Amino acid sequence: MELNQREKIKSILFLSPAIICFVVFLLIPMLYTVYLSFFDWNMIRPEMDFVGLDNYIKIFTDETTYKVLRNTFSYIGIILITNFCIPFVFAFVCKFVLHKFANFYKTTMFMPGFISLIVGSVIFTWILNPIVGPVALFLKEFGVKMPVWSTTEGLVIVVISLITSWKSFGYNFIMLYSAVSGVSGEVIEAAQLDNIPLRKIFLQIVAPMTGFTSFYMFVMTIIQGLTYVISPIDVLTKGGPNYGSSNIVYAAYFKAFYMFDTGGAAAMAVITLVIFGFGLFLLNEVVGKLVYYEN
Amino acid sequence: MVLYPILFAMDNAMKTDQQVYAGLTGWLSNGISLHNYIDIYERVPLLRIIWNTFAISSINTFLTMLVSFLASYVLVYYRFKGSDKIVGLFVWSMFIPFTVTIIPHYLIVSKMQLVNTWMGVVIPQIFSGSAVFLLIQSMRNIPLSLIEVAKLENISDRKIMCHIVLPLVKPQLIATSIWFFALTWNDFIWPNRILKDTTSYTLPLILQSFISGEGGGGFTSAMAMSVITMIIPLILYLIFQKHIIETFTSAGIK
Repeated sequence: MELNQREKIKSILFLSPAIICFVVFLLIPMLYTVYLSFFDWNMIRPEMDFVGLDNYIKIFTDETTYKVLRNTFSYIGIILITNFCIPFVFAFVCKFVLHKFANFYKTTMFMPGFISLIVGSVIFTWILNPIVGPVALFLKEFGVKMPVWSTTEGLVIVVISLITSWKSFGYNFIMLYSAVSGVSGEVIEAAQLDNIPLRKIFLQIVAPMTGFTSFYMFVMTIIQGLTYVISPIDVLTKGGPNYGSSNIVYAAYFKAFYMFDTGGAAAMAVITLVIFGFGLFLLNEVVGKLVYYEN
Repeated sequence: MVLYPILFAMDNAMKTDQQVYAGLTGWLSNGISLHNYIDIYERVPLLRIIWNTFAISSINTFLTMLVSFLASYVLVYYRFKGSDKIVGLFVWSMFIPFTVTIIPHYLIVSKMQLVNTWMGVVIPQIFSGSAVFLLIQSMRNIPLSLIEVAKLENISDRKIMCHIVLPLVKPQLIATSIWFFALTWNDFIWPNRILKDTTSYTLPLILQSFISGEGGGGFTSAMAMSVITMIIPLILYLIFQKHIIETFTSAGIK
């Protein structure tokens, strides 16, 4: 579309605040982080020492890095199941089977989305308190002693995932519900008339037809598993026990602000970005091919 | 399952620690008592903290919405060569993990001497890919013919923006604003870096000190503090829930 002179000026004027903020607070910081990753610094000393790839080498030869990486994938795996697969299936069920309660579920499940993760952490810590929390007391009736999850390696991840999934389940449900709603009812009815079982209808017809939205939600859920968990980790375990609850994003944060290893933190952030970006790229290719065939 | 933690907090906020340790009882079974709230008020600069939280949330929401609205408007209605690329760039920026930007953000804020201030918290957050995304989706839902008719009738651009587009996206604008308000209100990691003393804190920051009982309180104080922290966003949600859910739903149907 051709723009006349006046419109050109207006476009530039209106777009510039966003572009300036984007460049100053997103683009340049990202580049600067990459730059920082080649130095040894602690954010306070006036001089930074150039160390080349040293920070990266340190990270790759550190054992805890691999533990942290495993944790990262655990978090993502858990949250993909609880906050992507389950809401997806549930949305499908709500839309095509249980019509009536959809609105009620949407409204109530979204509430934790408006509540701080810190609030969630505080409340869940007490509900799951191994000695006097309601869950512990309930289990005591059955003679089961509740483990101290905050110092138990596997369980920490489960609990923190639980808190995170409580927070974003509603949002994911609403988005997936609308994605499912976008699929034309006629196709479903036709499939039902053909006596195709519901499970197949979901997996082979509805899911692929939700196109971009479910892809977006898939990525968003991964991001939730990567970044939302940071708040509970910082507040509850600080990555402990022994990095058992840390993930790759938190490890970078911890390095930067608790160990003052600015270069190392930057390197870790860059590695995260590369892994994540590469994963995203792969995903794009795979989904692109799937979407192509649906038509 | 979802509501239980909320009700749990509200209920226990009214009890004393001894009552809790004695065992499980029904909801609000000991009557309504505000002693925990009064206790918190005396121990911590509560009103100041609430005011900080409110101010930061409002300023951030206002600036973010303003910048995003102007940008979205241009990107949707003044399509030019490369504008689609910019849209793509802005939307994909939503997916960038914060670790790659947090260190430089901190450095920028301290160079600008804005540590421990409201603007220090707000300024790096003004650009938001998700705000732009939501607003662009809302604007695209307005039939283009409406705009074209207005242009044919020679209505000035400013009038088109203020009297046609703005009213039509108002519900989504409000919903997105409330969402961002709550997001900023509940934010923890970044304000935790920037705000240094208790009088500058936001609610989630002071709540953290209640987790291990450092604040001097026990379990029920922590519950009361949680209720204080969550109540405003929840109220906003309950008032505007229809708009909010609709906005997210229609953003998803693409």
